[in-house]
Amino acid sequence: MRFVDEFRDAELGGALAREILSTVEPGRHYKVMEVCGGHTHSIYKYGVDDLLPANVELVHGPGCPVCVIPMGRVDDGIAIAHEPGVIFTCFGDMLRVPGSAGTLLDAKAQGADVRMVYSPLDALRIARENPDRQVVFFAIGFETTAPSTALTLKRAKAEGFRNFSCMCNHVTIVPPLRALLDSPDLRLDGFIGPGHVATVVGARPFEFIAADYDRPVVISGFEPVDLLQSVQMILRQLAERRCQVENQYSRVVPYEGNLRALQVMAEVFELRPHFEWRGLGFISQSALRLSDGYADLDAELRYSVPGVRVADPKACQCGEVLKGVIKPWECKVFGSACTPEHAIGTCMVSPEGACAAYYNYGRFAREREVV
Amino acid sequence: MSEALPACIADFDGCITCGDHAVELRVVSVDDGRGLAVCADERGASTEVDVLLVAPVRAGDRLLVHAGAAIGRAAE
Repeated sequence: MRFVDEFRDAELGGALAREILSTVEPGRHYKVMEVCGGHTHSIYKYGVDDLLPANVELVHGPGCPVCVIPMGRVDDGIAIAHEPGVIFTCFGDMLRVPGSAGTLLDAKAQGADVRMVYSPLDALRIARENPDRQVVFFAIGFETTAPSTALTLKRAKAEGFRNFSCMCNHVTIVPPLRALLDSPDLRLDGFIGPGHVATVVGARPFEFIAADYDRPVVISGFEPVDLLQSVQMILRQLAERRCQVENQYSRVVPYEGNLRALQVMAEVFELRPHFEWRGLGFISQSALRLSDGYADLDAELRYSVPGVRVADPKACQCGEVLKGVIKPWECKVFGSACTPEHAIGTCMVSPEGACAAYYNYGRFAREREVV
Repeated sequence: MSEALPACIADFDGCITCGDHAVELRVVSVDDGRGLAVCADERGASTEVDVLLVAPVRAGDRLLVHAGAAIGRAAE
Protein backbone atom coordinates (compact mmCIF):
# COMPACT_ATOMS: atom_id res chain seq x y z
CA MET A 1 0.00 0.00 0.00
CA ARG A 2 1.47 3.32 -1.09
CA PHE A 3 2.61 5.67 1.72
CA VAL A 4 2.48 2.76 4.15
CA ASP A 5 4.78 0.06 2.78
CA GLU A 6 7.70 2.40 2.14
CA PHE A 7 7.35 3.86 5.63
CA ARG A 8 7.51 0.38 7.18
CA ASP A 9 10.47 -0.73 5.07
CA ALA A 10 12.91 -2.69 7.24
CA GLU A 11 15.93 -1.90 5.06
CA LEU A 12 15.22 1.82 5.16
CA GLY A 13 14.68 1.59 8.91
CA GLY A 14 17.99 -0.17 9.34
CA ALA A 15 19.80 2.47 7.29
CA LEU A 16 18.29 5.23 9.41
CA ALA A 17 19.25 3.38 12.59
CA ARG A 18 22.87 3.26 11.37
CA GLU A 19 22.72 6.97 10.53
CA ILE A 20 21.41 7.71 14.01
CA LEU A 21 24.22 5.66 15.55
CA SER A 22 26.80 7.63 13.60
CA THR A 23 25.23 10.96 14.63
CA VAL A 24 25.12 10.52 18.42
CA GLU A 25 28.01 11.67 20.54
CA PRO A 26 29.27 8.81 22.73
CA GLY A 27 28.84 9.57 26.41
CA ARG A 28 26.01 12.01 25.85
CA HIS A 29 22.52 10.96 26.92
CA TYR A 30 19.71 12.25 24.71
CA LYS A 31 16.12 12.60 25.89
CA VAL A 32 13.61 13.12 23.10
CA MET A 33 9.92 13.54 23.90
CA GLU A 34 7.24 12.29 21.54
CA VAL A 35 4.34 14.57 22.34
CA CYS A 36 1.59 12.53 20.74
CA GLY A 37 0.11 9.35 22.18
CA GLY A 38 -0.24 8.01 18.64
CA HIS A 39 3.54 8.17 18.32
CA THR A 40 3.96 6.30 21.62
CA HIS A 41 1.71 3.58 20.30
CA SER A 42 3.64 3.30 17.00
CA ILE A 43 7.02 3.24 18.76
CA TYR A 44 6.10 0.16 20.76
CA LYS A 45 3.99 -1.49 18.10
CA TYR A 46 6.94 -1.47 15.69
CA GLY A 47 9.78 -1.65 18.24
CA VAL A 48 11.26 1.65 17.08
CA ASP A 49 13.07 2.15 20.39
CA ASP A 50 14.92 -1.14 19.89
CA LEU A 51 16.59 0.35 16.82
CA LEU A 52 17.94 3.33 18.76
CA PRO A 53 21.27 3.48 20.56
CA ALA A 54 20.93 3.03 24.32
CA ASN A 55 21.85 6.66 24.94
CA VAL A 56 18.86 7.91 22.94
CA GLU A 57 15.89 7.79 25.28
CA LEU A 58 12.33 8.38 24.12
CA VAL A 59 10.20 10.13 26.72
CA HIS A 60 6.44 9.99 26.42
CA GLY A 61 4.55 13.24 26.55
CA PRO A 62 1.07 14.35 27.55
CA GLY A 63 -0.45 13.87 24.10
CA CYS A 64 -3.11 11.31 24.89
CA PRO A 65 -6.41 13.18 25.12
CA VAL A 66 -8.03 10.52 27.28
CA CYS A 67 -5.13 10.33 29.72
CA VAL A 68 -5.25 14.00 30.65
CA ILE A 69 -8.95 14.14 31.61
CA PRO A 70 -9.18 14.58 35.40
CA MET A 71 -11.51 12.46 37.51
CA GLY A 72 -13.76 15.38 38.37
CA ARG A 73 -14.68 15.86 34.70
CA VAL A 74 -15.57 12.16 34.42
CA ASP A 75 -17.81 12.57 37.48
CA ASP A 76 -19.50 15.55 35.81
CA GLY A 77 -20.12 13.47 32.69
CA ILE A 78 -21.57 10.61 34.73
CA ALA A 79 -23.89 13.04 36.53
CA ILE A 80 -25.26 14.23 33.18
CA ALA A 81 -25.58 10.63 31.96
CA HIS A 82 -27.83 9.88 34.94
CA GLU A 83 -30.18 12.78 34.11
CA PRO A 84 -33.64 11.47 33.13
CA GLY A 85 -34.13 11.17 29.38
CA VAL A 86 -30.50 11.77 28.48
CA ILE A 87 -28.62 9.74 25.88
CA PHE A 88 -24.95 10.27 26.75
CA THR A 89 -22.50 9.72 23.90
CA CYS A 90 -18.72 9.59 23.86
CA PHE A 91 -15.75 7.86 22.25
CA GLY A 92 -15.07 4.31 23.38
CA ASP A 93 -11.94 4.90 25.44
CA MET A 94 -13.75 7.42 27.60
CA LEU A 95 -16.24 4.79 28.72
CA ARG A 96 -13.62 3.03 30.82
CA VAL A 97 -11.92 6.03 32.41
CA PRO A 98 -12.51 5.86 36.16
CA GLY A 99 -14.14 8.74 37.98
CA SER A 100 -14.32 8.91 41.76
CA ALA A 101 -17.20 6.42 41.90
CA GLY A 102 -16.91 4.34 38.75
CA THR A 103 -16.81 4.70 35.00
CA LEU A 104 -19.35 5.62 32.35
CA LEU A 105 -19.61 1.90 31.65
CA ASP A 106 -20.61 1.41 35.29
CA ALA A 107 -23.19 4.16 34.87
CA LYS A 108 -24.52 2.30 31.81
CA ALA A 109 -24.77 -0.89 33.89
CA GLN A 110 -26.73 1.08 36.46
CA GLY A 111 -29.30 2.08 33.83
CA ALA A 112 -27.94 5.28 32.28
CA ASP A 113 -28.25 5.38 28.48
CA VAL A 114 -24.56 5.68 27.57
CA ARG A 115 -23.60 5.01 23.96
CA MET A 116 -20.26 4.81 22.20
CA VAL A 117 -19.90 6.83 19.01
CA TYR A 118 -17.13 7.06 16.42
CA SER A 119 -17.70 10.74 15.72
CA PRO A 120 -19.72 13.75 16.89
CA LEU A 121 -21.72 13.38 13.66
CA ASP A 122 -22.90 10.00 14.96
CA ALA A 123 -24.09 11.69 18.15
CA LEU A 124 -26.02 14.25 16.08
CA ARG A 125 -27.60 11.42 14.09
CA ILE A 126 -28.76 9.83 17.35
CA ALA A 127 -30.32 13.18 18.30
CA ARG A 128 -32.10 13.31 14.94
CA GLU A 129 -33.45 9.80 15.43
CA ASN A 130 -34.57 10.49 19.02
CA PRO A 131 -36.35 13.85 18.99
CA ASP A 132 -37.98 13.20 22.38
CA ARG A 133 -34.64 12.57 24.11
CA GLN A 134 -31.75 14.89 25.00
CA VAL A 135 -28.46 13.76 23.45
CA VAL A 136 -25.21 14.92 25.04
CA PHE A 137 -21.83 14.49 23.36
CA PHE A 138 -18.80 14.31 25.68
CA ALA A 139 -16.11 15.92 23.53
CA ILE A 140 -12.46 15.09 24.15
CA GLY A 141 -9.32 15.53 22.12
CA PHE A 142 -6.65 17.95 21.03
CA GLU A 143 -6.80 20.20 17.98
CA THR A 144 -7.03 17.09 15.80
CA THR A 145 -10.50 16.31 17.11
CA ALA A 146 -11.81 19.78 17.93
CA PRO A 147 -12.63 20.67 14.28
CA SER A 148 -14.94 17.67 14.02
CA THR A 149 -16.82 18.77 17.15
CA ALA A 150 -16.94 22.35 15.87
CA LEU A 151 -18.37 21.31 12.51
CA THR A 152 -21.02 19.19 14.21
CA LEU A 153 -22.02 22.05 16.51
CA LYS A 154 -22.31 24.35 13.49
CA ARG A 155 -24.61 21.81 11.84
CA ALA A 156 -26.66 21.44 15.03
CA LYS A 157 -27.08 25.20 15.29
CA ALA A 158 -27.88 25.66 11.60
CA GLU A 159 -30.48 22.89 11.70
CA GLY A 160 -32.01 24.19 14.94
CA PHE A 161 -31.43 21.12 17.09
CA ARG A 162 -32.92 21.63 20.55
CA ASN A 163 -32.17 18.14 21.86
CA PHE A 164 -28.39 18.13 21.29
CA SER A 165 -25.64 19.54 23.48
CA CYS A 166 -21.93 19.13 24.04
CA MET A 167 -19.84 18.82 27.19
CA CYS A 168 -16.60 20.23 25.89
CA ASN A 169 -13.29 18.84 27.18
CA HIS A 170 -11.14 19.76 24.21
CA VAL A 171 -7.60 20.69 25.15
CA THR A 172 -4.81 22.51 23.35
CA ILE A 173 -1.28 21.20 23.01
CA VAL A 174 0.94 24.26 23.35
CA PRO A 175 0.20 25.29 27.00
CA PRO A 176 1.11 21.87 28.50
CA LEU A 177 4.30 21.81 26.42
CA ARG A 178 5.24 25.21 27.81
CA ALA A 179 4.43 23.95 31.33
CA LEU A 180 6.64 20.92 30.75
CA LEU A 181 9.48 23.06 29.44
CA ASP A 182 9.19 25.26 32.53
CA SER A 183 9.21 22.23 34.82
CA PRO A 184 12.44 22.08 36.84
CA ASP A 185 12.48 18.27 37.09
CA LEU A 186 12.57 17.61 33.38
CA ARG A 187 15.47 17.81 30.97
CA LEU A 188 14.67 17.28 27.32
CA ASP A 189 16.87 17.63 24.24
CA GLY A 190 14.19 17.77 21.58
CA PHE A 191 10.61 17.09 20.59
CA ILE A 192 8.92 14.82 18.07
CA GLY A 193 5.99 17.07 17.17
CA PRO A 194 2.41 15.78 16.84
CA GLY A 195 1.75 15.18 13.14
CA HIS A 196 -2.01 15.26 13.13
CA VAL A 197 -2.42 18.16 15.55
CA ALA A 198 -0.05 20.00 13.20
CA THR A 199 -2.27 19.09 10.24
CA VAL A 200 -4.80 21.43 11.84
CA VAL A 201 -2.69 24.07 13.61
CA GLY A 202 0.38 23.92 11.37
CA ALA A 203 4.00 23.99 12.48
CA ARG A 204 4.12 27.65 13.50
CA PRO A 205 2.68 27.18 17.05
CA PHE A 206 5.72 25.03 17.90
CA GLU A 207 8.26 27.68 16.92
CA PHE A 208 8.42 28.99 20.51
CA ILE A 209 10.09 25.73 21.57
CA ALA A 210 13.03 26.42 19.29
CA ALA A 211 13.04 30.19 19.74
CA ASP A 212 12.45 30.49 23.51
CA TYR A 213 13.72 27.15 24.86
CA ASP A 214 16.47 26.25 22.37
CA ARG A 215 15.08 22.79 21.63
CA PRO A 216 14.67 21.28 18.17
CA VAL A 217 11.20 20.16 17.06
CA VAL A 218 10.46 17.80 14.18
CA ILE A 219 6.82 17.33 13.16
CA SER A 220 6.57 13.61 12.49
CA GLY A 221 4.42 11.04 10.74
CA PHE A 222 3.28 7.88 12.46
CA GLU A 223 4.98 5.05 10.60
CA PRO A 224 8.22 3.55 11.96
CA VAL A 225 10.42 5.07 9.25
CA ASP A 226 8.78 8.46 9.91
CA LEU A 227 9.72 8.22 13.57
CA LEU A 228 13.27 7.06 12.93
CA GLN A 229 13.81 9.84 10.41
CA SER A 230 12.42 12.38 12.89
CA VAL A 231 14.79 11.19 15.61
CA GLN A 232 17.64 11.45 13.12
CA MET A 233 16.60 15.01 12.16
CA ILE A 234 16.52 16.03 15.84
CA LEU A 235 19.95 14.50 16.49
CA ARG A 236 21.37 16.19 13.40
CA GLN A 237 20.07 19.57 14.62
CA LEU A 238 21.70 18.94 17.99
CA ALA A 239 24.98 17.90 16.35
CA GLU A 240 24.94 21.05 14.23
CA ARG A 241 23.93 23.23 17.22
CA ARG A 242 20.70 24.22 15.46
CA CYS A 243 17.24 24.63 17.00
CA GLN A 244 14.46 24.79 14.43
CA VAL A 245 11.01 23.48 13.68
CA GLU A 246 11.33 21.00 10.84
CA ASN A 247 8.51 19.16 9.10
CA GLN A 248 9.26 15.50 8.44
CA TYR A 249 5.54 14.89 7.72
CA SER A 250 5.31 17.37 4.85
CA ARG A 251 3.37 14.85 2.75
CA VAL A 252 0.41 15.66 5.01
CA VAL A 253 1.18 18.71 7.17
CA PRO A 254 1.09 22.17 5.56
CA TYR A 255 3.30 24.58 7.53
CA GLU A 256 0.31 26.90 8.02
CA GLY A 257 -2.11 24.12 9.01
CA ASN A 258 -5.74 23.98 7.91
CA LEU A 259 -6.96 27.57 7.95
CA ARG A 260 -10.60 26.62 7.49
CA ALA A 261 -10.42 24.34 10.52
CA LEU A 262 -8.85 27.12 12.58
CA GLN A 263 -11.62 29.52 11.50
CA VAL A 264 -14.37 27.07 12.46
CA MET A 265 -12.74 26.41 15.82
CA ALA A 266 -12.38 30.15 16.47
CA GLU A 267 -16.09 30.62 15.80
CA VAL A 268 -17.38 27.75 17.92
CA PHE A 269 -14.90 27.68 20.82
CA GLU A 270 -13.17 30.07 23.14
CA LEU A 271 -10.29 29.44 25.54
CA ARG A 272 -11.09 28.55 29.14
CA PRO A 273 -9.16 30.71 31.62
CA HIS A 274 -7.74 27.52 33.09
CA PHE A 275 -8.32 23.76 32.98
CA GLU A 276 -7.16 20.90 35.12
CA TRP A 277 -4.93 18.31 33.47
CA ARG A 278 -4.54 14.97 35.09
CA GLY A 279 -1.13 14.84 36.72
CA LEU A 280 -0.15 18.27 35.47
CA GLY A 281 -2.58 20.37 37.53
CA PHE A 282 -4.26 23.57 36.36
CA ILE A 283 -2.83 25.10 33.20
CA SER A 284 -3.93 28.53 31.98
CA GLN A 285 -5.73 28.82 28.65
CA SER A 286 -5.18 25.16 27.89
CA ALA A 287 -8.70 24.04 27.02
CA LEU A 288 -11.71 25.05 25.01
CA ARG A 289 -15.33 25.76 25.89
CA LEU A 290 -18.24 26.71 23.69
CA SER A 291 -18.33 30.38 22.70
CA ASP A 292 -21.27 32.62 23.60
CA GLY A 293 -22.78 32.08 20.16
CA TYR A 294 -23.09 28.36 20.95
CA ALA A 295 -24.13 28.65 24.61
CA ASP A 296 -27.51 27.04 23.80
CA LEU A 297 -25.64 23.85 22.90
CA ASP A 298 -23.41 23.84 25.99
CA ALA A 299 -24.26 20.85 28.22
CA GLU A 300 -22.46 22.45 31.16
CA LEU A 301 -24.98 25.31 31.05
CA ARG A 302 -27.94 23.06 30.36
CA TYR A 303 -27.31 20.66 33.25
CA SER A 304 -26.19 21.02 36.81
CA VAL A 305 -22.90 19.16 37.37
CA PRO A 306 -20.95 18.61 40.61
CA GLY A 307 -17.88 20.44 39.28
CA VAL A 308 -15.81 19.04 42.13
CA ARG A 309 -12.06 18.60 41.85
CA VAL A 310 -11.12 15.01 42.68
CA ALA A 311 -7.56 14.08 43.58
CA ASP A 312 -6.00 11.21 41.65
CA PRO A 313 -5.67 7.89 43.51
CA LYS A 314 -2.53 7.98 45.64
CA ALA A 315 -1.14 4.79 44.13
CA CYS A 316 -1.42 6.20 40.60
CA GLN A 317 1.63 7.90 39.12
CA CYS A 318 0.04 8.97 35.84
CA GLY A 319 1.21 12.52 36.43
CA GLU A 320 4.85 11.53 36.51
CA VAL A 321 4.35 9.29 33.47
CA LEU A 322 2.64 12.12 31.58
CA LYS A 323 5.54 14.44 32.35
CA GLY A 324 8.03 11.79 31.30
CA VAL A 325 9.63 11.79 34.76
CA ILE A 326 9.20 8.04 35.19
CA LYS A 327 8.68 5.16 32.78
CA PRO A 328 5.36 3.33 33.06
CA TRP A 329 6.96 0.20 34.50
CA GLU A 330 8.42 2.31 37.31
CA CYS A 331 4.92 3.07 38.62
CA LYS A 332 4.12 1.09 41.76
CA VAL A 333 0.85 -0.36 40.41
CA PHE A 334 1.84 -0.89 36.74
CA GLY A 335 0.86 -4.34 35.56
CA SER A 336 -0.32 -5.45 38.99
CA ALA A 337 -3.22 -3.44 40.38
CA CYS A 338 -3.38 -1.37 37.19
CA THR A 339 -3.95 -3.20 33.90
CA PRO A 340 -5.94 -2.33 30.75
CA GLU A 341 -8.79 -4.53 32.04
CA HIS A 342 -8.86 -2.85 35.46
CA ALA A 343 -7.20 0.51 35.04
CA ILE A 344 -6.52 2.80 37.98
CA GLY A 345 -4.91 5.50 35.91
CA THR A 346 -5.98 6.92 32.57
CA CYS A 347 -2.61 6.18 30.95
CA MET A 348 -3.57 2.51 31.14
CA VAL A 349 -7.07 3.02 29.73
CA SER A 350 -6.39 4.44 26.32
CA PRO A 351 -4.31 2.52 23.78
CA GLU A 352 -2.60 5.85 23.12
CA GLY A 353 -1.58 6.01 26.78
CA ALA A 354 2.05 5.26 27.57
CA CYS A 355 1.18 2.63 30.20
CA ALA A 356 -1.16 0.74 27.88
CA ALA A 357 1.43 0.84 25.09
CA TYR A 358 4.08 -0.58 27.42
CA TYR A 359 1.71 -3.21 28.81
CA ASN A 360 0.29 -4.31 25.45
CA TYR A 361 3.73 -4.70 23.89
CA GLY A 362 5.31 -6.50 26.81
CA ARG A 363 7.56 -3.70 28.10
CA PHE A 364 7.14 -4.68 31.73
CA ALA A 365 10.64 -3.60 32.71
CA ARG A 366 13.48 -2.07 30.83
CA GLU A 367 16.99 -1.31 31.88
CA ARG A 368 19.26 -0.11 29.11
CA GLU A 369 22.95 0.35 29.28
CA VAL A 370 24.11 3.80 28.33
CA VAL A 371 26.86 3.76 25.72
CA MET B 1 -22.90 2.23 6.26
CA SER B 2 -20.38 -0.40 7.15
CA GLU B 3 -19.60 -1.16 10.78
CA ALA B 4 -16.28 -2.72 9.84
CA LEU B 5 -14.03 0.16 10.85
CA PRO B 6 -11.69 -0.68 13.73
CA ALA B 7 -13.44 -1.30 17.02
CA CYS B 8 -13.05 1.44 19.56
CA ILE B 9 -11.42 -0.67 22.22
CA ALA B 10 -8.03 -0.88 23.80
CA ASP B 11 -6.66 -3.27 21.24
CA PHE B 12 -3.34 -3.49 19.50
CA ASP B 13 -4.38 -1.29 16.59
CA GLY B 14 -5.33 1.60 18.81
CA CYS B 15 -8.38 3.72 18.33
CA ILE B 16 -8.92 5.90 15.30
CA THR B 17 -11.06 8.41 17.11
CA CYS B 18 -9.95 8.64 20.71
CA GLY B 19 -6.27 9.05 20.03
CA ASP B 20 -5.04 12.04 18.10
CA HIS B 21 -4.32 9.83 15.16
CA ALA B 22 -6.04 10.30 11.82
CA VAL B 23 -6.44 7.69 9.09
CA GLU B 24 -6.24 7.94 5.32
CA LEU B 25 -9.49 7.21 3.53
CA ARG B 26 -10.48 7.44 -0.14
CA VAL B 27 -13.59 9.35 -1.24
CA VAL B 28 -16.22 7.05 -2.76
CA SER B 29 -19.08 9.49 -3.33
CA VAL B 30 -19.79 13.11 -2.47
CA ASP B 31 -22.93 14.85 -1.23
CA ASP B 32 -21.91 18.44 -2.01
CA GLY B 33 -25.16 19.92 -0.73
CA ARG B 34 -24.56 18.60 2.80
CA GLY B 35 -20.77 18.83 2.79
CA LEU B 36 -20.52 15.09 3.40
CA ALA B 37 -18.83 12.24 1.57
CA VAL B 38 -18.78 8.48 1.88
CA CYS B 39 -15.15 7.42 2.32
CA ALA B 40 -13.60 3.96 2.44
CA ASP B 41 -10.41 2.51 3.85
CA GLU B 42 -8.13 0.05 2.05
CA ARG B 43 -10.27 -2.88 3.21
CA GLY B 44 -13.44 -1.35 1.81
CA ALA B 45 -15.02 -0.40 5.14
CA SER B 46 -16.88 2.85 4.59
CA THR B 47 -18.12 5.70 6.70
CA GLU B 48 -19.70 9.11 6.29
CA VAL B 49 -17.23 11.98 6.60
CA ASP B 50 -17.67 15.73 6.95
CA VAL B 51 -15.52 17.22 4.16
CA LEU B 52 -16.24 20.95 4.61
CA LEU B 53 -12.69 21.65 5.80
CA VAL B 54 -11.07 20.26 2.65
CA ALA B 55 -13.79 20.93 0.05
CA PRO B 56 -14.12 20.60 -2.85
CA VAL B 57 -13.47 16.87 -2.98
CA ARG B 58 -14.02 14.36 -5.73
CA ALA B 59 -14.42 10.60 -5.80
CA GLY B 60 -10.95 9.08 -5.60
CA ASP B 61 -9.39 11.84 -3.47
CA ARG B 62 -7.36 10.65 -0.48
CA LEU B 63 -8.25 12.41 2.76
CA LEU B 64 -6.86 12.41 6.26
CA VAL B 65 -9.87 11.67 8.45
CA HIS B 66 -10.26 11.96 12.18
CA ALA B 67 -13.43 11.56 14.25
CA GLY B 68 -15.70 11.80 11.23
CA ALA B 69 -14.13 14.91 9.74
CA ALA B 70 -11.52 15.29 7.02
CA ILE B 71 -8.79 17.54 8.46
CA GLY B 72 -6.37 17.37 5.55
CA ARG B 73 -5.48 15.82 2.27
CA ALA B 74 -3.09 12.91 2.01
CA ALA B 75 -0.32 13.04 -0.55
CA GLU B 76 -1.31 11.70 -3.96
